[in-house]
Amino acid sequence: MTNKVIGKRVKRVEDPRLLTGQALFVGDVSLPGMLHAAFFRSDYAHAKLISIDVNPALEIPGVVAVYTAEDMGDDWEPGPPLVSPPPTLENVVFNSRRQVPLVKDKVKHAGEIIAVVVAESRYIAEDAVEEILVEFEPLPAVVDLEKCLEPGSVLVHDDLDTNLAAHLIQNKGDYESARKEADLVINRRFHLDRGVAAALENRGIVADWDEKNQHLTVWDATQSPIPIRNGLAARLGLGTHQVRVVAPFVGGGFGPKIMMFYAEEMVLPWISMKLGVPIKWIEDRRENFYATTQEREQIHEVEMALSKEGLILGIKQKLIHDTGAFNPYGLTTPLNTQSHSMGAYDVPNYSSDLTVVFTNKTIVTPVRGAGRPQGIYIAERMMDIAARELEIDPMEIRRMNFIPPDAFPYDHKIIDQAFVPLIFDSGNYEPAFDKALEMLGYEDFIKNEQPRLRAEGKHVGIGIVPFVETTGVGPYEGARVSVEPSGKISAATGVGTQGQSHMTSFAQIIAEQLGVEVTDVSVVTGDTAEFHWGTGTFASRGAVVAGNAVNAAASDVRQKVLKLASKILETPEEELILEDGMVRVADVPDQSISLGELALLANPLRGAVEPGTEPGLESTKYFGPAFGATAFGVHGMILEVDPETMMINIRKYIAVEDCGTMINPLVVEGQIHGGVSMGIGNAYYEKLHYDENGQLLNASLMDYLIPGSTEMPHIEVHHANTPAPNNELGTKGVGEAGAIPVPAAFAQALENALYDYDLEILETPLSPNRLYELLHKQEDDS
Amino acid sequence: MKVEGEHIFKGTREQVWDLFRDTDVMAAALPGTKKMEAVGENVYEAVMNVRVGPVTGEFSGNLVISKENFPETYTMTVDGRGKPGFLKGIGDIILSDQGDRSTLMKYTGEVQIGGKLAGVGQRLIDTVSKSIINQAFNMLDEVLAERTAAEAEGREAEYKGASEKDYAATAAKDLVGSILSAPRAKWLLGIVILAIIGLILIFSFT
Repeated sequence: MTNKVIGKRVKRVEDPRLLTGQALFVGDVSLPGMLHAAFFRSDYAHAKLISIDVNPALEIPGVVAVYTAEDMGDDWEPGPPLVSPPPTLENVVFNSRRQVPLVKDKVKHAGEIIAVVVAESRYIAEDAVEEILVEFEPLPAVVDLEKCLEPGSVLVHDDLDTNLAAHLIQNKGDYESARKEADLVINRRFHLDRGVAAALENRGIVADWDEKNQHLTVWDATQSPIPIRNGLAARLGLGTHQVRVVAPFVGGGFGPKIMMFYAEEMVLPWISMKLGVPIKWIEDRRENFYATTQEREQIHEVEMALSKEGLILGIKQKLIHDTGAFNPYGLTTPLNTQSHSMGAYDVPNYSSDLTVVFTNKTIVTPVRGAGRPQGIYIAERMMDIAARELEIDPMEIRRMNFIPPDAFPYDHKIIDQAFVPLIFDSGNYEPAFDKALEMLGYEDFIKNEQPRLRAEGKHVGIGIVPFVETTGVGPYEGARVSVEPSGKISAATGVGTQGQSHMTSFAQIIAEQLGVEVTDVSVVTGDTAEFHWGTGTFASRGAVVAGNAVNAAASDVRQKVLKLASKILETPEEELILEDGMVRVADVPDQSISLGELALLANPLRGAVEPGTEPGLESTKYFGPAFGATAFGVHGMILEVDPETMMINIRKYIAVEDCGTMINPLVVEGQIHGGVSMGIGNAYYEKLHYDENGQLLNASLMDYLIPGSTEMPHIEVHHANTPAPNNELGTKGVGEAGAIPVPAAFAQALENALYDYDLEILETPLSPNRLYELLHKQEDDS
Repeated sequence: MKVEGEHIFKGTREQVWDLFRDTDVMAAALPGTKKMEAVGENVYEAVMNVRVGPVTGEFSGNLVISKENFPETYTMTVDGRGKPGFLKGIGDIILSDQGDRSTLMKYTGEVQIGGKLAGVGQRLIDTVSKSIINQAFNMLDEVLAERTAAEAEGREAEYKGASEKDYAATAAKDLVGSILSAPRAKWLLGIVILAIIGLILIFSFT
């Protein structure tokens, strides 16, 4: 191929539309006769529903209807299990309890929906919500991850005799024997807490039932339009061809925008079919804090066994994961934690006991990183502690434990979140690690810079952590690529776009295959009318799974182009080249035909298409990997902290990323920048404070702090490349990577900065307040 | 959340008790109160507006007084719900004689808040409540002083109450003392007493 486009820093083709306000978001959808919905949500985290009186709301002019669970009749049903428990493990306890569209008898977390008002405007609907009279019988709330398992605890689900949502144990090797041979065994307890994803755009839905055409169109800010289409069709008794779900431009997904279903996602289409008019609802920020899924609360008790040289002999952990009031997303998140608690290291013996509990808190589903940041945090904190106890350089202990390059594919002998063996496909960790140390100037900082700064009374520390990320899991994605008679290329895939630059990256893949300009390729994502099959955008899999499907389809179109052109140009295929939208005979450039002309010839109005061939220059292909592509990275920072004010300053931030072949380095860097900003939030700002009654105490962006530009360091990115061996493009995912290592690197740097405080950090997110408490606890103890 | 605090009043326990338990006064005032009435012995129902920063709206609920031991202790239970959320609280009031016609009032309690009041108002509650409780105690001091003075001079106590707007503005700016000026002692007493009850239970969670 002459036209090398993959790997180029191509500017995003979607940006002109986005930057000039021409891109369609759900909020932009406005249809004739459209009504607006607003929801009555429970203030209580746990309460029996005694009675509902919607009549005062109905009396307000402009209110069209008010619905409660009772009105849904037989259509009332909990959501389907989005992800089932792992079928390949034995002795798995899994109690499936799914969210409901409208609460029928008992509220299980604050923000659950009791009633929905439909009115001529959102203003009227919101006012009417305030008139609904609901009588509750408040119940004590289940909040604490450990207390909720004690006998006699209040139950989230009365039909279960426990708050246990799941339990399973995964073992590799024989930890107990390894422990006997260890020179050092360290034990620590970690508490990792919750945050929100805080996408810029909240959720939003417009549902439009067309009675005459018997067709439902739903615009939904979702990451997985095809499963939503399939699910809605099944629930509403429609054929999939009667339902179109469009996920237009979406202002950030980060995981929580995949559910089946959010209550609102089920209720709005149902109402639209009842009333025969379009209904719109856009989530407000406060609703987002209560009703959109969250993540990361886990308690870990971890033990690491080591030789005196610093080799890891084994890791054992007991982990409790909070799934909130329901568990529609199965075990994805805690399985990811299990898979990542060994970090990038060759751990021969591993025992991981996982308990999942129900609490009266908002539902937990993956948020960018999805259990991986917790796993990496555990692994890297334990490495830091082991290095200190063994008096080994913290970088050296990491280097000596890396999975060596000749050990790939490396079988961890447990299963991962996709229910397939946890196999690391490829990697070359040490050179990337060394590069990170070099970029951050590790040696010089430790030997010269830091002593100088300490002499000045400054507290400046360094933190460097390596991490792995399982990416690009199945089951599959597909894509269709067509040459239009205009010579332009159109393509469609089932994944939705929430800022990942799919329209550019996929266009680059096609442009390279077909010898056209990137701007001549138009990519549609997330519209079930355009592409019928697929799962969605999650698990850092777009570039891997959808990307390789796009590549396969484009490659197939290329073959069709060559075959037809060979016939017309009377030249063997091997002598043809595709460039500038033309097929040319390599050594006779004048002898050529355009792709547009070929497209017309491939779709004749007379004559016959040859038996065994298809009309047009079009192909649909699918890609489903047997197991994921394992990305690797190293992040490091130099962090200054003022131990009086607890204010921090990240003086330098570097990232080395190995996501295999890059389609577009600009896009990769953008993903890292965004990920790091979430990671900084997870390290020092973003913590949800629930009180003992399950009440969220910082449910606004005034009190829940998200890093802004002033908290963001300049980030220097270096790209390493170990191509994925199991896909044609060699790509690995990078969408979540940036967020994963930051809390671990931050904790290491903070301890290093506050060297004179004997600080050991076993929790995240921290905050200035919390750090103050930790430092003063140290003082009190000593 | 725990609620606790104390204040020394320049009056006898009996005077302070009367001040706190004057049901007419309770029924009369409190900024934003739309309704306040006794519905049984030691049981009161109230409807009032609450304003904590961006959180505003109407609350309705009841207040029950129990375990009365005149003039030393009693227990208050409050249960309210409204558009801004809900609150539930139980608190003990203890009055101890300090001699020299002064009384130490201590209060301890447990309060739960929920909904918008917790989710959006929580951070503001902490700062607003400290300012407001200080104001309330200062005002109550002056009421007692005025009452004592009026008694000595053989006249009616006179004060003007604050409007809800003044009250909120003062709370925000912590302008203690700017509220007191003229007649209607009962109105002010109402504000003070209900401010304390309300504020202890609504605002003061540390």
